[in-house]
Amino acid sequence: MISPEQYPVLIVVTPLLSAFLINILGNMDKRFCYPATLLALAGSLAAAVGTLCRVANEGVIHYRVGGWPPPFGIEYVVDHLNALVLVVVAGVALVAAVASKRSVEEEFPHKITQFYTLFVLLTTGLLGMTITGDAFNLYVLMEIAALTNYALIAMGGNRALMASFNYVVVGTIGACFYLLGVGHLYIMTGSLNMADIMTILPSLYGTNAILVAAILMLLGAWIKMAFFPLHGWLPNAYTYAPSATSSLVAPLMTKVSVYIMIRVMFSVLGATYVFTVLPVKELIVWLATAAIVGGSLFALSQKDFKRMLTFLIVAEVGYMVGGAWLATERGITGAILHIVNDAVMTLCLFLFSAIVVYKTKGHQLSNLEGMFKKMPLTMTAFAVGALSMIGVPPTAGFFSKWYLILGGIDAGQWQFVVALLFSSLVNAVLFFRIFEIAYYEPHSDHHGHSAPVAIDEAPMSMLLPLAVVAVAIIMLGLYSGEIVTTFIQHAVPAGI
Amino acid sequence: MEMLLAKYNYWIYVTLMMIGIYAMIAKCNLMKKIIGMSIFQTAIIVFYVSIGAKKGATIPIIAHGHGVAHEAVRVADYVNPLPHVLMLTAIVVGVGTLGVALAIAMSIHEKYGSLEEDEILERQE
Amino acid sequence: MIWQFDLLILALGVLCALASISLKDLLSAAIVFGAYSFLMCLLWTEMGAVDVAFTEAAVGAGVSTVFFLAAVYHTNRAVKPRRRGRLLHKLVGLVTAACIGLLLLSATADFPTWADPNSPASVYLSPFYITETIPQTAVPNIVTAVLADFRGFDTMFETSVIFVAGLAVLAILGSYGRRQRDYEPSPTGQDAAHQSSIVQTACRVFVPFMQLFALYVVAHGHHSPGGGFQGGVILGASFILVAISYDLRVMQRRLRERLAMLFAGLGVLIYAGIGALCLVLGANFLDYSILHTILPATSPIMARSHGMLGVEIGVAFTVMAIMVIIYVNVASHGKSDRGL
Repeated sequence: MISPEQYPVLIVVTPLLSAFLINILGNMDKRFCYPATLLALAGSLAAAVGTLCRVANEGVIHYRVGGWPPPFGIEYVVDHLNALVLVVVAGVALVAAVASKRSVEEEFPHKITQFYTLFVLLTTGLLGMTITGDAFNLYVLMEIAALTNYALIAMGGNRALMASFNYVVVGTIGACFYLLGVGHLYIMTGSLNMADIMTILPSLYGTNAILVAAILMLLGAWIKMAFFPLHGWLPNAYTYAPSATSSLVAPLMTKVSVYIMIRVMFSVLGATYVFTVLPVKELIVWLATAAIVGGSLFALSQKDFKRMLTFLIVAEVGYMVGGAWLATERGITGAILHIVNDAVMTLCLFLFSAIVVYKTKGHQLSNLEGMFKKMPLTMTAFAVGALSMIGVPPTAGFFSKWYLILGGIDAGQWQFVVALLFSSLVNAVLFFRIFEIAYYEPHSDHHGHSAPVAIDEAPMSMLLPLAVVAVAIIMLGLYSGEIVTTFIQHAVPAGI
Repeated sequence: MEMLLAKYNYWIYVTLMMIGIYAMIAKCNLMKKIIGMSIFQTAIIVFYVSIGAKKGATIPIIAHGHGVAHEAVRVADYVNPLPHVLMLTAIVVGVGTLGVALAIAMSIHEKYGSLEEDEILERQE
Repeated sequence: MIWQFDLLILALGVLCALASISLKDLLSAAIVFGAYSFLMCLLWTEMGAVDVAFTEAAVGAGVSTVFFLAAVYHTNRAVKPRRRGRLLHKLVGLVTAACIGLLLLSATADFPTWADPNSPASVYLSPFYITETIPQTAVPNIVTAVLADFRGFDTMFETSVIFVAGLAVLAILGSYGRRQRDYEPSPTGQDAAHQSSIVQTACRVFVPFMQLFALYVVAHGHHSPGGGFQGGVILGASFILVAISYDLRVMQRRLRERLAMLFAGLGVLIYAGIGALCLVLGANFLDYSILHTILPATSPIMARSHGMLGVEIGVAFTVMAIMVIIYVNVASHGKSDRGL
């Protein structure tokens, strides 16, 4: 009934419409929420996969919302870059939703309806930010994602409240900077369509106003992705967020913001402008180096498992920002591939942390004691994610890191290469320490010879998504060559 | 004087924006931070609406525009409507953010009995 | 445009902004902030942005101030005087503000002169909207046409933002669903006794006219300033007025929270549903012109006009309901019992 022409808009509209239905149905009976959420996200994922196939076969797709031609109306543009990101966002959201059932029932049984409505709307916001070709439309979607995110984090109560409040303040500054940057572009070019702005911009390259627009938009994206030293809001917000929230936002929020930075760099300002006119390439790679080293060191000093993961996110953001600003083909390839891989890896780690919280009611490192005996399957899946974070082949993490290192060598930015290797080393130390805790130390038993610990696996609804993600990490690693040749090499701007 | 007339709107929006940012960072009271945030958001609206202004033009509602028989519309007669549309969105986003921020601040007050950032942080320890 | 008047308002605006962040009494700060919003709305009227001014008057100077007052009422009214200064914070704040200020000022040098008819923004996209609105959509208010049709997709998400805000407030503050929240008559039957009868009588006279005006604003948005947002906010404000001058329960007898949430969802569903209907009929999402195939006696042009009216009604539903929900939860600290 609905032609493939309509797939791009369906990716966003399916979850949007479903969210309101979920809210209405959920107010009648809470049990509708979970299946309806899964159905909505599965529909969105199907549309995203359909679009991905079309992009692979036909190239870039344009969709005119409301039938108005750009730049007068809003346009959806799906190219090789965002087709990939869309599938990742829809897929990660679906898996996180499947795994959320038990955590939600446990942590806020009275707010299931609100949680799932916000969950689906957050996914809608992230998908909309990824797919749009209009600079202002992106701002509106950014605010949807942000407001839902504040609420989902604040639902954690207690310390999450203050973390969420700080996030509101900082997030609003970030979004407003982006909006202000768009305003500067608008006053100078008169347009809001990204592709249109990019064609007008070369004649204005020398002006201060465009420089300020670039700075503001990049600052906005950096605040949203918690790029060092603007990362202050992230650790608390993600640590104290409810488990079901953090398994959705931790993998996606920063990654979509990195995608937006790349989109602003290459599809609004233009690669020529950001790499040759702006004299900040080296500086940003240095900042990224600092992010990687700083994030890794902070992670090393944590006793709280979930908090440790949040600092790893800060380090990973450094990988992607640095890779994009290396201004070499392999560096940018690595950055884009890492968006995909890191989303899946982070999902794996946070799903595991959700299981830990569900089973042990805490997220300290000491909560992990004896995990290998108690949940062998869960721990195996976690180990795959951990090895991928370290960068052990053939897991996905190895390949993107490999591209990033090669890109760093091509660009002659040795400090970045060293930071990447250092971060791998730190990750190895961190995760092997966790393995040690989970393998050797008997579970809260200090009385001589311990009774054999009974196997007590996570519930199926949490274990299965984790297993799927672990398999996905290995598959992404095995097929990374195909992903690069089919999609990413078309996404890297020509002439670098 | 010419210079002043040409740009004063933009200077004032920058001033408002600075006030907002200062309040969001320096103020200890959460409500003050929220007020700062709202000032910050209105500053952006001032900026956008200033982009839309046009000398010698009137509000963007076409006179006698209903029906088919109307004279050709002269572009110079009407101000630029696009920034107005964008800013309607921004105002709505602003009130949404305000509502959420107030709700969080009230929950914080219920939990810690204070709206002062340093006291809350002390009580969290 | 009278620049002396502009400058005066802007100067007063800056003063109000400074006052509202430095006052030690939060109640006064909230009132001064309301005055600031009102000055901004004068300024925008003066620059020809009537729709923006209308919205700011209803939202910024109106319900936002009420939300602030309600929140202050339930928390601390006084800002604690600082014995030991927050020197570091102040320094960081000042430096950041100065950096951002300088950055933005450096850009203004390249801007076209203010209100220049030949600026890029005025000659690139806006002539299309100004000349094509009547032939393509038959709506004289260009802002409404751009809002609901040319950039209708933005507006749909904007309505979703409002929905999200209401839901977020419920999720954070509300005890919704934990127990029966609907109105239960109080045993004494004297819920509203503590309020002034002058206020109550005035309110009783006032509210029907407010609601009538709100409906007019929604319905007449095609021809005059206004539309779903402004009308929705006024409708919501009429309920808030009842809640303030009587009691939260008296208001909830008219609009229960469960019903309000249903309205909110329904409003956005109307909007997105009209969009999806276009899609099902074979056009792109939100391309209202296709609706002429199912609406009797319309051309594609008039179908756009009717489509816009449909979505504006949806917007009004959502905005009204969410304003009420936010107020109820903020004013009663999520308990939705007695209110202020």
